Amino acid sequence: MKNILGVVLIMTLGTVPAWAVLGQYESSVSVDQQTLRSEDHVQAFQGYKVHQLTTPNGTMIREYVSPQGLVFGVAWQAPFMPDMKQLLGSYVTNLQTASRTQTQTRHLRGIIVRTNDFVFVSSGQMRHWRGNAYVPSLVPSNVSVEVVR
Amino acid sequence: MTLKNGSKATLACFLAVITALIFLECCGGSSSTSSIITPATSNTASVTVGFGALGPSGGYVNGIWTTVTVCEPNSTTSCQTIDNVLVDTGSAGLRILNSALTTVPASSLGAVTDSNGDQLQECVQYGDTSYTWGPILLANVELAGETASSVPIQVIGGNSAAAPSQCLSMPVSPNLPNGGNDDTVATLGANGILGVGAFGYPYDCGSYCTDTSNLTQPGFLYYVCPTGQACSATTSSTQATNPVAAFSSSDNNGVLVTLPSIPATGAADATVTGSLIFGIGTQSNNALVSTVTVYALDEYGNIPSFTYSGVSYSSPTNYSVLDTGSEALEFLDASTLSPVGIVECADAPGYYCPSNTIAFTVTATGATSTSGTIAFSIMNADTLFATSNAAFNDLGGDSGTGPANDFFDFGLPFFFGRTVYVGMTPGAFSGETAPPSAASSATYGYYAF
Repeated sequence: MKNILGVVLIMTLGTVPAWAVLGQYESSVSVDQQTLRSEDHVQAFQGYKVHQLTTPNGTMIREYVSPQGLVFGVAWQAPFMPDMKQLLGSYVTNLQTASRTQTQTRHLRGIIVRTNDFVFVSSGQMRHWRGNAYVPSLVPSNVSVEVVR
Repeated sequence: MTLKNGSKATLACFLAVITALIFLECCGGSSSTSSIITPATSNTASVTVGFGALGPSGGYVNGIWTTVTVCEPNSTTSCQTIDNVLVDTGSAGLRILNSALTTVPASSLGAVTDSNGDQLQECVQYGDTSYTWGPILLANVELAGETASSVPIQVIGGNSAAAPSQCLSMPVSPNLPNGGNDDTVATLGANGILGVGAFGYPYDCGSYCTDTSNLTQPGFLYYVCPTGQACSATTSSTQATNPVAAFSSSDNNGVLVTLPSIPATGAADATVTGSLIFGIGTQSNNALVSTVTVYALDEYGNIPSFTYSGVSYSSPTNYSVLDTGSEALEFLDASTLSPVGIVECADAPGYYCPSNTIAFTVTATGATSTSGTIAFSIMNADTLFATSNAAFNDLGGDSGTGPANDFFDFGLPFFFGRTVYVGMTPGAFSGETAPPSAASSATYGYYAF
């Protein structure tokens, strides 16, 4: 939090929930933010910026954007599991095709998927789901993947 | 409902006293007075640790199982006893496989319908992407000597419609059997799940599922499926309910899980037995003793903070829970723990395989600033699995991949050799017995150990 360069606060009301997309341009965030009943809180850090989308029901999604304008990571905390097809975009196929050795599941509890260029962790309990996903090759070289939280 | 049952109990007690007085008066009193002392409700269910219904091949390790009696609503005679039900402090509500309900079929349980007469259905997708899908029905649930009358339970499977796509907000992992549908013993690994979590509440969704603005939410839980139409989300105040909260006795404010110590190399299937005791501070066997520390939960149902090696991990991002439904001590990750010798097992990624047993200490801090240390060990999981044992107190694995997503899910290994109190939110439901004074400020429930 030392490297906060600026904070912008925007509020927009919409009707159809939708999320930004991992691996796509930052503009997908604003499209989502317009169509989501959410508040978009933008913070700039050294080497990346974060859009934090929050809704009245307690859903919070953070999207991490590289200087090139690409969403390199997403993280969520939500009472209902967010729609991963919308959140992950084409990277959702990594969930659908990950092999057994790339996938760790725990009975009813959580899943970890690690492929060459995709990391996904989802866990939690009813009313409190959380997780993150990122694309290592899109993470800026001077930024740790551990910021995606 | 609870009030009515309470009134009945009071009346019964009153009649017993009157009867006793009459008896004493007419007979001058004698040792026979002992016959009219009403015994306290039997509040202890036996639990067994092991592989469960699937056995060593495909079953749980560190599964904790109990037996539940499911009766037709408000019946004490039309009942079926169902074994291999997972005791789960990580969820709320009883869920039973439709296929396990044979002598008391789902059709004999109480329907829950909307104004159109359509049966209420629930779809829960879990963290591993598997899901339970089936109707919410009313049943009497008996555990030890306790009864929850006409309590909503989920019957898993048995409905003709497929689970709504709205519910399945995560793609089901292709590595799960049966497309992730937990509607068979083979996929659920159990005949049912008994959710007795602290969790802050006795219902599985609470106000999130009574709020119409959530009806379009991916991952929503409650649906109706009118004949000839697609299933659609519906708000519902009738939800799968922790049966303990609905007990007619005063043993309705939480549970104790008690398991014996086991050797470091584990214990064989079904050789470890313990107790699931109902109520906290309500009977002589469930007092909140002064030697335990109360860890109040936060609004997410988590212990707010765990500290390991000088680093604090805080809820909600890096949360901490005590969870009988988890098989291992899932904490941090192999990369973070590599400096102390943790590596993942080559043949079982996700489990820890240190070359030597490693001792750990973490500090837990509750929401009311109480804190204490938890000491445990992690042994090589390959060595443990090679024993063919089913109960382990030192089985560990990754929670995530790094500090950004790591957490502490202390599963059943944590529970051996101790008693853990799982206290529900004070005043969360009508008729709830107040918690012991030491836990009275635990706004969202508590664990104590």
